[in-house]
Amino acid sequence: MKEQYLKKVKKELNLPRKAKREVLRDLNEIFASASEHGETEQQVIERLGTPKEFADSTAEQFGIDNTALKNRREIISSVAALIVAIAAFAIYAAAQVEKGPENAIGRADAVTTIQIAGTLGFDASQILFTLGLAAAFIAVLLIIRLIRRNRRQ
Amino acid sequence: MDNRYVQQFKKGSLEMILLCLIGRKETYGYEIITELNKNASVWGYAKEGTIYPILYRLQEAGLIQCRLAPAAANGGSKKYYSLTNKGTEVLNELILFWSSYENCVNGFIAGYQQAEGSE
Repeated sequence: MKEQYLKKVKKELNLPRKAKREVLRDLNEIFASASEHGETEQQVIERLGTPKEFADSTAEQFGIDNTALKNRREIISSVAALIVAIAAFAIYAAAQVEKGPENAIGRADAVTTIQIAGTLGFDASQILFTLGLAAAFIAVLLIIRLIRRNRRQ
Repeated sequence: MDNRYVQQFKKGSLEMILLCLIGRKETYGYEIITELNKNASVWGYAKEGTIYPILYRLQEAGLIQCRLAPAAANGGSKKYYSLTNKGTEVLNELILFWSSYENCVNGFIAGYQQAEGSE
């Protein structure tokens, strides 16, 4: 229960690394002192509040708006994911167009055994397409989470 | 009594009270909580979730300092807080202000009670 609490605070708390380590050390002391005096972890957690409450009010005292910082980080990563997705799809589309129609002269209708030297066992454009899909998926996920968190407040 | 107005009083004086407790003698987190809880009938129970963030602020402001001391029964270490010179200065200013503030508020209360009594 304590480990879980610490883990959640660690995740929620946006502070410089040194300050964060300090806060987690203090939490360990809080639990240890309380158990030394015969208190349960549950009792301590009730006095600490939820991990998010504790993390937010702690960050606030360090002069940092915890939620705003987290939002900013998430906005930056969703934009980055979107850019990757768009770039991947654009390159993929360009490559598709350059291939020309299926029945163009010089293009084999039937399966040939000729392999172009240097190509891998799979199509590079497929990798690009998958990468684009994955990036788009991550971007959508991040944006949904961002909207959800801000609506809750 | 735990309404909004009382909460405001407590909130406003908690920092000074913490400075007093830490200024009296070097002390650690659990001891601070225990000391505060001796007055639980007036104050309500102190919570680490409230106290620690304020300790961080006081420390950031340079009013208190801390040192780690090994504590076998405590899973490693205990953090002892003490006032800095700046902290002592600020606390003395606060105490001075508190006295005049108390007089001032009492003056208003006395005025009200006299008016009540003469009706």
